[in-house]
Amino acid sequence: MNWKSLQPYLLVTPQTLIFLVFLVFPILLIGVVSFWGFNGYAMVPGFTWDNYIGVFTSEVALKIYLNTFRYVGLVWVCSLAIAFPVAYFLAFHIDSLRWKVILFLVCTIPFWTSNIIRNIAWVPLLGKEGLVNQILQSLHLTQQPLEFLLYSDFAVVLGLVYLYTFFMIAPIFNSLMRIDRNLITAARDMGASGFQVLKEVILPLAAPGIAIGSIFVTTLVMGEFVTVRLMGGGQSASIGKLISTQIGSLQYPLAAANAVILLAVTLVMVAAILQVVDIRQEL
Amino acid sequence: MGKITRRKILQTGLAAGAFLAATRCAAPKGTPNNPAPGPEVNTNQIKDVTLRFIGTGVSQVNEIRDKAEADLGFKLDMRALSTEENNQIAISQPGQYDIFDGEYFSLPLVIPSGNLQPIDITRIKDFDKIVPFFTSGKFNGMPVESSQGTAPYKVMYLTGPDSTEFSATPTDWATLIPFQYNADTLGYRPDLVGRKIETWAELFNPEFKGKTSILDIPQIGIMDAAMVAEAAGLMTFGDKGNMTKAEIDQITDILKDQKKAGQFRAFWKTFDESVNLMASGEVVLQSMWSPAVTAVKSKGIGCVYAPFKEGYRGWGGGVGLSKKLEGIALDAAYDYMNWMLDGWVGAFLGRQGYYSAAPENAKKFMSPEEWDFWYEGKSAAVDMIDPFGATLEKAGSVRDGGSFKERFGNIVVWNSTMNENVYLVQKWQEFIAS
Amino acid sequence: MLNPSAPTSSTASRAEHAVAQDEGGASVAIAPQTAGISLRSVTKRYGSVLAIKQINLEIAAGSYCCLLGPSGCGKTTTLRMIAGHETITSGEIWIGNSRVNALPPAKRNTAMVFQNYALFPHKTVRQNIDFGLKMRRISPRERAQRVDEMLDIVGLKEFAQRKPDKLSGGQQQRVALARALVTRPQVLLLDEPLSALDENLRVKTRGELRKLQRQFGMTFIQVTHAQDEAFSLSDQIVVMDHGQVDQVGTPQTIFNQPASKFVAQFIGDNNIFSGTVVQVDPGEKGAMIQLDVAGLGRFRCTGQAANVGMAAAFCVRADQMTLHSPGHSEIKDDNASSNQVSARITAVEFTGYVTRVSLMLEATGQEILYKALTQDWGAHQLQEGQLIPLSWRVNDSIFLSH
Repeated sequence: MNWKSLQPYLLVTPQTLIFLVFLVFPILLIGVVSFWGFNGYAMVPGFTWDNYIGVFTSEVALKIYLNTFRYVGLVWVCSLAIAFPVAYFLAFHIDSLRWKVILFLVCTIPFWTSNIIRNIAWVPLLGKEGLVNQILQSLHLTQQPLEFLLYSDFAVVLGLVYLYTFFMIAPIFNSLMRIDRNLITAARDMGASGFQVLKEVILPLAAPGIAIGSIFVTTLVMGEFVTVRLMGGGQSASIGKLISTQIGSLQYPLAAANAVILLAVTLVMVAAILQVVDIRQEL
Repeated sequence: MGKITRRKILQTGLAAGAFLAATRCAAPKGTPNNPAPGPEVNTNQIKDVTLRFIGTGVSQVNEIRDKAEADLGFKLDMRALSTEENNQIAISQPGQYDIFDGEYFSLPLVIPSGNLQPIDITRIKDFDKIVPFFTSGKFNGMPVESSQGTAPYKVMYLTGPDSTEFSATPTDWATLIPFQYNADTLGYRPDLVGRKIETWAELFNPEFKGKTSILDIPQIGIMDAAMVAEAAGLMTFGDKGNMTKAEIDQITDILKDQKKAGQFRAFWKTFDESVNLMASGEVVLQSMWSPAVTAVKSKGIGCVYAPFKEGYRGWGGGVGLSKKLEGIALDAAYDYMNWMLDGWVGAFLGRQGYYSAAPENAKKFMSPEEWDFWYEGKSAAVDMIDPFGATLEKAGSVRDGGSFKERFGNIVVWNSTMNENVYLVQKWQEFIAS
Repeated sequence: MLNPSAPTSSTASRAEHAVAQDEGGASVAIAPQTAGISLRSVTKRYGSVLAIKQINLEIAAGSYCCLLGPSGCGKTTTLRMIAGHETITSGEIWIGNSRVNALPPAKRNTAMVFQNYALFPHKTVRQNIDFGLKMRRISPRERAQRVDEMLDIVGLKEFAQRKPDKLSGGQQQRVALARALVTRPQVLLLDEPLSALDENLRVKTRGELRKLQRQFGMTFIQVTHAQDEAFSLSDQIVVMDHGQVDQVGTPQTIFNQPASKFVAQFIGDNNIFSGTVVQVDPGEKGAMIQLDVAGLGRFRCTGQAANVGMAAAFCVRADQMTLHSPGHSEIKDDNASSNQVSARITAVEFTGYVTRVSLMLEATGQEILYKALTQDWGAHQLQEGQLIPLSWRVNDSIFLSH
């Protein structure tokens, strides 16, 4: 082998090493640990299916998975319902590039503070004596404060939608910006109504962006535990929170088994999305 | 006289660095910038020592570190961790720390790893001044003597200098020297509750439906739940600090029913969350830690740390030695532990509402008014000011729970590590997911 | 709506094109509906920018009209205003008997072929062609039949299930045409339909376009910047510049009698001489106008009218000049019917059938162009650097008033 033919391999070596050391190796390690035993305070190297059997025979695990899927589904629907109009507005109704950029940056406001502060800030808004309840009561729409606004599944979904809608907006916006404006003119020329333009032209062409956004939202919500804990007031369960509690209780092998299953389930969901929509043109 | 001479020479502008090095060799008692702390410490070598601490945030106080460095002449490096991380590092990475600052109920997890070396009690000067419920399990014949759970006394001693086995009776080998401890109970907002809360059972009182909270750390939360269930007459326990599977099932079912009925507003996991829940009025009655009550009060919001007829849930923490610690660093660690019991730390903590492991030493550093208020349960003769200048209590107020003896004598259960810990965590998940 | 001044009505030409023949000879029933178009004082303003200035234009029903001009002249904007994709700021647009100012594109009986075609990338060829019919809620059976018909006409039957990105440029262009024609519009609007094709294909497709127009009988309005395209396709050419119409006429008129310096320049290969009108002699077929060109003297040209003293110009096409031997000083024609200059050859460019010769006028330094058939040029045996006399007939000197 001469120098020339070695070059491409040498070029990819650093990335490959980083990839192997910081991604593949830890995942493999988690996989290995998921087969270890544990005795309350330490892991015991070995091989046992107990952790997996424990997960698959546990009603709680199933229930928590179903609950997590429910969050994924609700957050997906809500974030898509918000993100598409927002991205559409940015892409088609804001003419100046400058304003597009400014408004796009406005969409990132949820990320300007830390997760904890952001979540605590919901209390004065949604709490029993929060702004929303005060307004509702002063308008005599409700007599009692609405408690479901905070520390409930509603609040969890709200918090997640608030956080992750941006991950839906960005790829959809990107897709919409790539649509040749002449296609819309052409559709209009051929008699398509506004709704038909949306259905026949814009939606199909935005599909890859929607798919990428859906992958973001799905994977983020599947592993979510901080927002679930803070917005759910600790009363809501997700698979990420289960893993975090198990780690907190030094039950690493159980946590690892759950992590491996979570990874597998998430990959299946991503694969399913990719089956439905071809995203290659976006990459 | 000698100091003056040295200063004059320095002022004349001679090569200061070289000279200082020379004077340090010549005068082991110290230099103007680094006065000798005490006769028993060999400053010459010990100044190079840095003791690495790991501990939970509660016990990592910069003022204590600075004072210790000034008094002892060596450096302290403190790493603040969560209880969970603290245990993980203590168990799995003994090379990462010299001193473990942790809780007694973690010891059944940490000690078997062999990563802590037994403390030679003969080298602890004031060991006999430590509160007796740590050292002998006795306390004026009060309920704490028969308390359940991982009482510090039960895990205080090891059987020998190389042992990882707890001894039921005092030996010369200790696991931790106590540093911080408290008697936990429920906190409430007197303005929103409108009456006195006198029993744990009130947490399940439908009157407070949707306004209570409990701690979402399985091992501790289950114990508060057990106190409540027992007080409400819903069930009894053989040992709340070491529940059987059947007991765990039953208490989890009770918790699930309460959750379903909407009794809880939220569960909290961190100090800040508990303060936030209480201060915002989202919750009026909940599991709480003593400093969180202080934090709520400091916002000008009334908060009571309720003394209950059923007694308290206690916890204790202290410092232990890494097995890797040896030679001069080990000497430094013993110096630190002796200094810690000496009284300054106790007084410093006492002014914030915590308790000293050796109260009579702390008393030397506190004013009589402070001592009377914090330890004797008497009404404050003057305003109580914490070490940072904030007024914690106005003159005339009385400490929640009364005197030191009343509080700690009434600890009926200690934070615990149960045999059924794995099962407990699983059932707790069930409760959360229900 | 009835309007006495409406352009040629669509009903007039209906009967003539009732049946058209496609390539294969099969009879394809096409109801030839067509309509003329009238633009009256149409103005388009984008903020403070005046894009179209008071255009007046009549396009006959069933004709092939090209809007010709450089980029930015407003030709595409004009086309899009006719289609309804741009609103007009003021004025009126009439299609057939209807004033369409406020009508949406689909109600104007027009169809557009877009530059780069704007085919729906996610739809098959069949779905693309079907789109307009689907939007018009035509029955599935009729839709299928009409799409098949169009696929036949453009010869893309075997590509019906392909997506556009799997087609060649020429095939895409035919899909775009089929998609526009399938709705049987009265007017077909084409925006640079050939610009994305290579030269050979462009020439071939030009022919197909013209054939389709004849076959369907509808009005074609095409935007182009290429004069050869305009010449070969059009019944009528509209030369536009800076948002205004400079000249309207048949290709022959535009070519032989450019009306302005801009048209003369844009049509290409015209030599333009600017000067001052010194004498106007009206005649039967127009006027004989004399201009004084600084440094060159007096020239005669033909035009309609002019005022003595006005600044103006005339042009003469590069292929209408006559070359003389070097040293030839006397021109046989008398001065009354011929103009003459003397120029030095600066470059000779062989382009095949024609040879282009660049020259520079000795007196003023102006560059001029002379074009000759290559075989004729060879006979002259002239070389770069030689000074030679050139002359042209007065009748070939076209007066340009602006």
